[in-house]
Amino acid sequence: MGRFILHRLLIALLQLAGLTIAVFFIIRMLPADPVAQMVGLNASPEAHQQSAHMLGVDRTPLQQFANFLGVFSDTGKPGLLQGSLGTSWVTSQPIWGEIRHDLPITLQIVTYSLFVAFLIAVPLGLAAARKPGGVADRSALVWGLFAGAQPDYWWGLLFIYVFFFILNIAPAPMGQLDPLLDPPAAITGFLTIDALLAGRLDVWLSALSHLVLPVLTLVFVVSGAIVKMVRTNTLRALRSDYILYARACGLSDRIVARYALRAALTPAITLVGIFYSILLSAAVTIEVVFSLNGIGQFAVRSVLAIDYPAIQGVVLVVAIVSLFIYLLLDIVHAFLDPRVRT
Amino acid sequence: MTNDGAISESIDQHFDPAIFAAGRGPRLRRQLGRNKLLLVGCAIILLSLFLAAFGPSIAPYDPTAATPEVAVPPPGLAEWPGLLLGSIRGTNAAPPHWLGTDQSGLDVFSRIISAPRTDMTISLSGAIISCALGSLLGLLAGFTRNRATELLMRVSDVLQSFPVFILAMILVTLSGRSIGNIVIALVMVYTPIFLRLTRAEVMGQVSRSYVEAARAAGNRPAVIALKHVLPNSMVPSLVQMSVTIGFAIILTAGLSFVGAGVRPPTPEWGLMISLGAPQLILGDWWPSVFPGLAMSVVVFGYAVVGHAFEARFE
Repeated sequence: MGRFILHRLLIALLQLAGLTIAVFFIIRMLPADPVAQMVGLNASPEAHQQSAHMLGVDRTPLQQFANFLGVFSDTGKPGLLQGSLGTSWVTSQPIWGEIRHDLPITLQIVTYSLFVAFLIAVPLGLAAARKPGGVADRSALVWGLFAGAQPDYWWGLLFIYVFFFILNIAPAPMGQLDPLLDPPAAITGFLTIDALLAGRLDVWLSALSHLVLPVLTLVFVVSGAIVKMVRTNTLRALRSDYILYARACGLSDRIVARYALRAALTPAITLVGIFYSILLSAAVTIEVVFSLNGIGQFAVRSVLAIDYPAIQGVVLVVAIVSLFIYLLLDIVHAFLDPRVRT
Repeated sequence: MTNDGAISESIDQHFDPAIFAAGRGPRLRRQLGRNKLLLVGCAIILLSLFLAAFGPSIAPYDPTAATPEVAVPPPGLAEWPGLLLGSIRGTNAAPPHWLGTDQSGLDVFSRIISAPRTDMTISLSGAIISCALGSLLGLLAGFTRNRATELLMRVSDVLQSFPVFILAMILVTLSGRSIGNIVIALVMVYTPIFLRLTRAEVMGQVSRSYVEAARAAGNRPAVIALKHVLPNSMVPSLVQMSVTIGFAIILTAGLSFVGAGVRPPTPEWGLMISLGAPQLILGDWWPSVFPGLAMSVVVFGYAVVGHAFEARFE
């Protein structure tokens, strides 16, 4: 088990290294001029040159990469290897500080959405697998096809129109808290947890009510695929030889179902990672719709401003989150199913 | 969104496998008649292709020219028959704004039926080029295993570990927000999926006896790969392509939604949703809701047909 974890960790690190190099050089190979973006198109050549020097982009790409990593740096500032992602060109703030504030917002809605989606989708998938071709199965199929690929940002807007404008039961889609409430001190960064830690029930309720629509949208988008996955895995398990054997031995339906469920859900654990990255990606547009100011919106802002250090930082952090989740789930899977460990 | 292929190994019997039994007209028609869902899917795809070809020409208004009527709501359902009759007889003073006008006075209906020209061109070329490129590279990587193809796989690994939406956003914004650059971004994002699918399939095929027979008959490796192995390894990619077209439409529109796609006033569904969004909260729902509805329906059409393909070949 220890060797398995070490091996997976090593692969993840290699992937991260490849990603770091790729994002660094891809953004510099593309024809955008970040300096002109900062100083404006009408700036004098001297001003342009001065800015380029200040931002460090007048050096050779290799020297820039060394500065980014923090080895053989000619600026004297700490780099990636010293644990610094640099400072944003737009806000002049340390990038890690901004990410540390924005990331929990995104992780919070993604985690809640995944939890709710599984809560709804697993029973539906099981019901569909119980009678293939039945009413539940057919509706699950159409639902999976329909919700499996939908423009999430449009559904978010639709929910806002219905629940905020017409019915007026949802709060305005402006951030994650009522603007009149002051947020509790950030301990974990997860607003719903911090509110409880600070004993602020009013903040907790407001945060929850602001979460309802974004979570509803993400659940809507991801649940179809989960239903389909549970159904397929359960059907496969039900048709396997050992279930046939269990039936032949005269075990009750209930016990057989329990065997099948266990066999069906173990391989599904690794797929949770896929759903997590799907949701992380979908969260970008959802955050824009609901002005949540999470890591996705930070990514949009950084890319549109051609803020090189911020782009590098956000790609790296999002990839680390995905890889970490994959790693964690692989380990859980290996723990439950010894065949995987080899 | 891109990993859907991995989780959709379906074992459905809802679609009759004989649907695509090629070339038999009456039989195909009978199958389509029995499978209403697939019929709807095919109709949607045909309509989207028709609008991509002729949408801008049949639109009643210029999709990029503002009319003086700003933010006009769509006519009520009761007025539709009269307006329709008027259009046929030619007695309407001006063509009606069937779906209203947006904040700048652009006709929503004309823009919606002109948008497939942009959306379908981008997503179809993105998906087709990715499929072609990915299949060829996958064939190469599965057929000849050496340092170069090993490197190819690692590069594709790195591309796949990028967050999809952020990668597309970076590629388009930093290389210029044009249609060609969006297609290139889609190709970068989707090619690794096809590469991996084809490579896995090719590796399963090369040990088959027909490949050995072809080799024994004295064919050159390139001929064996292209003429024998490739046609036998295309099925997963073709299934994936239908799914990818749907995702490409959503991604293209998503890019313009966050301001990293085509520029206004290009008629494009995501851009229309985005331009209408601030008004939606104030109650003007039509500039955002209708384009999203069009996109939602088209994507569903591709999903249905993709599913039928999948069921047919498994």
